[in-house]
Amino acid sequence: MNTKSWVKTACVILSVSTSIAAHADIKIGALYPLSGSLALLGDESFRGLEIAVAERNAAGGLKGEQIKLLKADAVDAGQAVGAARKLTSVENVTAVFGSYSSALSFAATQVTEMAGVPYFELGAVSDHITERNLKYVMRSNPTARNFAEGTITAITQIVGPSLKVDPKQLKIAIIHEDALYGTTIAGFQKQLAQAQGLNVVEVLPYSAKAVDLSSLILRLKGAQADVVLQTSYQNDTTLFFRQIREAGFKPKAVIGAGGGYSMQDTVKVVGAQNMESVLDVDFPQFQTSEKGAPGISAFAKAYKDRFGSEPRSGHSLINYVGAKIFLDAMEKSESLEADAIRASVASVDIPVGGTAAGMGVKFAENGQNQRASTAIMQWQDGVLKTVYPEAAAVTQVRFSDHP
Amino acid sequence: MEIFIQLLLNGLLLGGTLAIISIGLTLIFGIVRVVNFAHGEFLMIGLYAVYLLNAHFGIHPYVAIIPATIFLFAAGAAMQRFIIQPLLSAEGHIQIFATVGVSIALMNGALLIFGADVLTVQNISFGTSTVGMGAFRVSSGQLITFAMSLVLVAGLHWFLQNTFVGRAVRATAQHRNAAQLMGVNVKKIYIFAFGLGCACLGVASGLIAPQYPVFPTVGTFFVLTAFVIVVLGGLGSLSGALVGSMLIGIVDSLAGYYIAPDLKEVVYFSIFLGILVFRPTGLFGAGRGSE
Amino acid sequence: MNIMHPRVYVSVLVLASLLVIPLTAGSPFIYHLFILICSYAALASAWNIVGGFAGQLSLGHAVFYGVGAYTTTLLMINLGISPWIGMFVGAILSSMVAVLISWPCFRLRGPFFALATIAVLEVVRLMAINQHDVTGGAAGLGVPLKLGVEWMLFRPRWPYLLIAFGFLIITLAVSWKIKNSRLGYYLIAVREREDAAHAVGVNSVKVKLIAVVLSAFLTSLVGSFHAMYLTFLEPGSMFSLEMSIQIAMFALIGGLGTVSGPLIGTLLVLPLAELARGWLGDMGSGVHGLVYGIVLVVVVLTIPQGVVGRFGARVFGWIDALPGGRRPLATGVKTVKSPAPERQSQTSGEPILVAENLHKFFGGLHATNDVSLSLAEGEIVGVIGPNGAGKTTVFNQLSGFLLPSKGQVKVRLPNGEWVTPSSPAEFAKAGIGRTFQIVQPFADLSVCENIMLGAFMHTADAREARAIAEQVAELTELTNLLDTRARNLTVGGMKRLEMARALATRPRILLLDEVMAGLNPTDVVKAIAVIRRVRDSGVSVLMIEHLMQATMSLSDRIIVISSGTLLMQGAPNDVINDPQVIEAYLGKEYSHA
Repeated sequence: MNTKSWVKTACVILSVSTSIAAHADIKIGALYPLSGSLALLGDESFRGLEIAVAERNAAGGLKGEQIKLLKADAVDAGQAVGAARKLTSVENVTAVFGSYSSALSFAATQVTEMAGVPYFELGAVSDHITERNLKYVMRSNPTARNFAEGTITAITQIVGPSLKVDPKQLKIAIIHEDALYGTTIAGFQKQLAQAQGLNVVEVLPYSAKAVDLSSLILRLKGAQADVVLQTSYQNDTTLFFRQIREAGFKPKAVIGAGGGYSMQDTVKVVGAQNMESVLDVDFPQFQTSEKGAPGISAFAKAYKDRFGSEPRSGHSLINYVGAKIFLDAMEKSESLEADAIRASVASVDIPVGGTAAGMGVKFAENGQNQRASTAIMQWQDGVLKTVYPEAAAVTQVRFSDHP
Repeated sequence: MEIFIQLLLNGLLLGGTLAIISIGLTLIFGIVRVVNFAHGEFLMIGLYAVYLLNAHFGIHPYVAIIPATIFLFAAGAAMQRFIIQPLLSAEGHIQIFATVGVSIALMNGALLIFGADVLTVQNISFGTSTVGMGAFRVSSGQLITFAMSLVLVAGLHWFLQNTFVGRAVRATAQHRNAAQLMGVNVKKIYIFAFGLGCACLGVASGLIAPQYPVFPTVGTFFVLTAFVIVVLGGLGSLSGALVGSMLIGIVDSLAGYYIAPDLKEVVYFSIFLGILVFRPTGLFGAGRGSE
Repeated sequence: MNIMHPRVYVSVLVLASLLVIPLTAGSPFIYHLFILICSYAALASAWNIVGGFAGQLSLGHAVFYGVGAYTTTLLMINLGISPWIGMFVGAILSSMVAVLISWPCFRLRGPFFALATIAVLEVVRLMAINQHDVTGGAAGLGVPLKLGVEWMLFRPRWPYLLIAFGFLIITLAVSWKIKNSRLGYYLIAVREREDAAHAVGVNSVKVKLIAVVLSAFLTSLVGSFHAMYLTFLEPGSMFSLEMSIQIAMFALIGGLGTVSGPLIGTLLVLPLAELARGWLGDMGSGVHGLVYGIVLVVVVLTIPQGVVGRFGARVFGWIDALPGGRRPLATGVKTVKSPAPERQSQTSGEPILVAENLHKFFGGLHATNDVSLSLAEGEIVGVIGPNGAGKTTVFNQLSGFLLPSKGQVKVRLPNGEWVTPSSPAEFAKAGIGRTFQIVQPFADLSVCENIMLGAFMHTADAREARAIAEQVAELTELTNLLDTRARNLTVGGMKRLEMARALATRPRILLLDEVMAGLNPTDVVKAIAVIRRVRDSGVSVLMIEHLMQATMSLSDRIIVISSGTLLMQGAPNDVINDPQVIEAYLGKEYSHA
């Protein structure tokens, strides 16, 4: 009978795979979008986790056991639920790390919470993730609000002073891709800008799949925007830069919030001279002073050795740092039970500037790292260099005329 | 007023880009009558081919048009021969799903081979500058694409009107069985038509490579718009695809400015629906539109 | 429903296993898999009502799914309404949306309807993102985690499985009911040949709308359920083009237009996809997608008619061979003997169909020029004339397929009242039955089912329709062909089928359009006998014919139409010897022959 035997076979295969999986190694789940439209940064994020796990295994593993990293690809919320289910019930992982995309994180954490398995978020930025009072969800990276704060700080502390202009006199335009990432950050940007009395002249969402932004740019031109705050992925970033050049639009400053702005690929496509002086708020990149971010050059070297190129964006670093924090906490924990891990994580206390990403570590009740912060970087000569805060800066901010 | 004219210019030039992509689709859709959901992925293949030629041999994308066109013609012909042809007598829905399968396979195959990285052609100066026209600015690459779309349409039109093969193609499009009775080998015509439609994508990929980077999902950015244009202009009508592209380009530009950038698509999908309901044959349809 | 019949108990077993396996396996992952299977099978079955039965390929069904999900969640968040109620509100809303979208789009065929549904889906998705104050926009909407039955949120997994299973049963039941009812037959007729369906009185728009509303309602319910299951909504995944294509695909692979098809398609493909992602995901990004795409293409190429279409007959054969298979499927089938139609009518000889001063213009062509005719009850009138004279045009005006530019057509109802119908369905209901010059059988239906379609005009009961069909088949000598597929008939058989189908509508007037064309002499003799029998059973006949032998032997009266005008009418012998008529047919030289 077609259908019945199919189902039977599937069950047999599943149970066999389950029994094979039950082994001595410690299993950790890695839930990321490794295919689909988010694949690029999902993969980059995963690489950071990979390096952290490899380092720990080289140092003796977790409680003497080697760590086995189980990849789980998820492209949307539904798949995230399935992946989380599989990791927690079939593979019985000790913990799940992820996930770059807030939508995935949201969905997966509902499952892991019900299953009582710790979920370590290393890169997704939606604040909501840690605002649901979930006991076993912990996040090491800065949130959308932090990003927005960073961009506003960039205006008030960097652009204003460098151009010798009162920030309140600047006309600010906020443009963003219309999915979760862009919308959440832009929402906070608007809020914070208004709270600080800054003049926001345009807020323009657009589809990340747009093939043309010329009309949006004409709007910016018409509004005479001095400063453009953009939150975008890689494709819309490159499109934007190409088209402002074509339109002859030269704002005084362009500030990105991670995404495409932090990627090497972007500057390759756009051209170093076209991204000169562009500011970027993000997890710190590898061009950060060792003083403010101990371990960063070691990471860059490890990445290059393993993958044969420079890191493509800062996502690998932030995932690496977060994974290291949590893995260290797990090592120090009394046991690998969820509650023990949670207690150990709560006791971590690293001052700002104490990690390779330049941030500190102290987890609040809701699992969010209170000392997570972003750094402000600037593209200079085709290289992304940290310019703020002081301790992490490798160079001075410089503004010149755009070509 | 200046802004309005600049918007129109931008719209027309965007239309040129869209046209070059839609021409192939209207040929395939109009002649073989298959909704090819993998159309965007063929464009992606073309873009990767152009990228590879540029990265390994330093060839300028405009020059790479020739090998890309030949390659895509072969790919399209193969698709028709091995995937669509066996299904010609099946229900229409089935063919659509075959193309969906091809689309998924191609996208993920590209991901596997090239990774998710965003790749672009390097070291090209021709086609990437900005040209000033009085108070207005246009991109040289887009201008060239626009001009080439006109040339391509004119060339194809000449071909379809004045050569035997062209006439056979038109006959098959109008009435498959009658054409067979006239001695036209319909299967070969379909293979040719599909190949021709994809070959147009080869031209398109060479032309737009200087402006757009390539990555596995790039096809999905263009495919729905292309379908809107093809239906708007009328199935199988080359001039319809041209005019339709210009229209959509202008609507895109104006709606993006006067309404909101994130509602552009709503505007032209609404237009699309309006056309389907009130004038299903499209603007230039040969009377055999959506019915 | 005979529980001992193997088809019944096997189906029950298969369905039960969907519940039993996860309940016994106990693993949350298996639960998740089966919950997915049940929900997607329900979605695919709901889709099948529109895509399979009605033949309208919708690739935007996620609209209803998303509307259901958002409505339920928003009602829960803003008004504290339980999702059990909220989901019905969502379903009603979806149904309204369905009517709004479908009505203008129904005349679009195949790929165009599909593209229209995609456009609608995209518009709705973009508006959902744009209206973020209402829907939460791209940032998404989290379902408040209030556990409990009234909130459809549970800690253990099995309640979700039960609910998903429940939806599956409901959609399957609805599909099954439709398939075996008049609605189901009407849908197939409309799908196959809309014109012929109109001629048997089917209101195709109404029928399709019903199908769409049912489908939207069910899809929306599942959407509401998923919202509670995933507890997080965002426009991209709720109004997802990928999902719309997927559910259509499951139905297709299983077998369009069958009841079990969508479930089988889902059972086949979904676990494969999930397992592939699990195993192959390790091998490199994109491997599982590549494999999925290739498998899809291969499946479509090898079994384009779907699993049920290909293996159905064989599998049903095996099932029927199981114990209990020889009993009838449905117990208590009373052989309904429908009353034979009235023989003698009081009003025999009185006009029953009257056309007054008909004119029809096609642009500049005056196709019908002041044609008036009347058919008396119990008469057989032959209509002759040279090719291109406009005879079929007149017929079309007499049956509602064309509306006259001037003049009117009146039909007398049994109660003596005169009506002027204005559409094919109205004409059919008034008692006009017609055949088409180019035969239009419903090719994939059996002869019996074809005739039943005509019978459905006067009854909604499938069994009664079948009885009528059997009766009519006797009249038209089709009794031993009842189970043959219409596409396998000879020309003679098809022509008789056309007549039979028209007769099953119990017409009082039968319009026959060149029913003898292409028949061999034996078939002609049969046809003549059939037409006589038809008239004797109380039906008035108006027939266009070129075959003079048949016309002469059958007609009480002959009407000649030439160049759109009525040349003359009268007794057969008078007409064929009239010089004007000879000139019209053969040319001036012969009128003196």
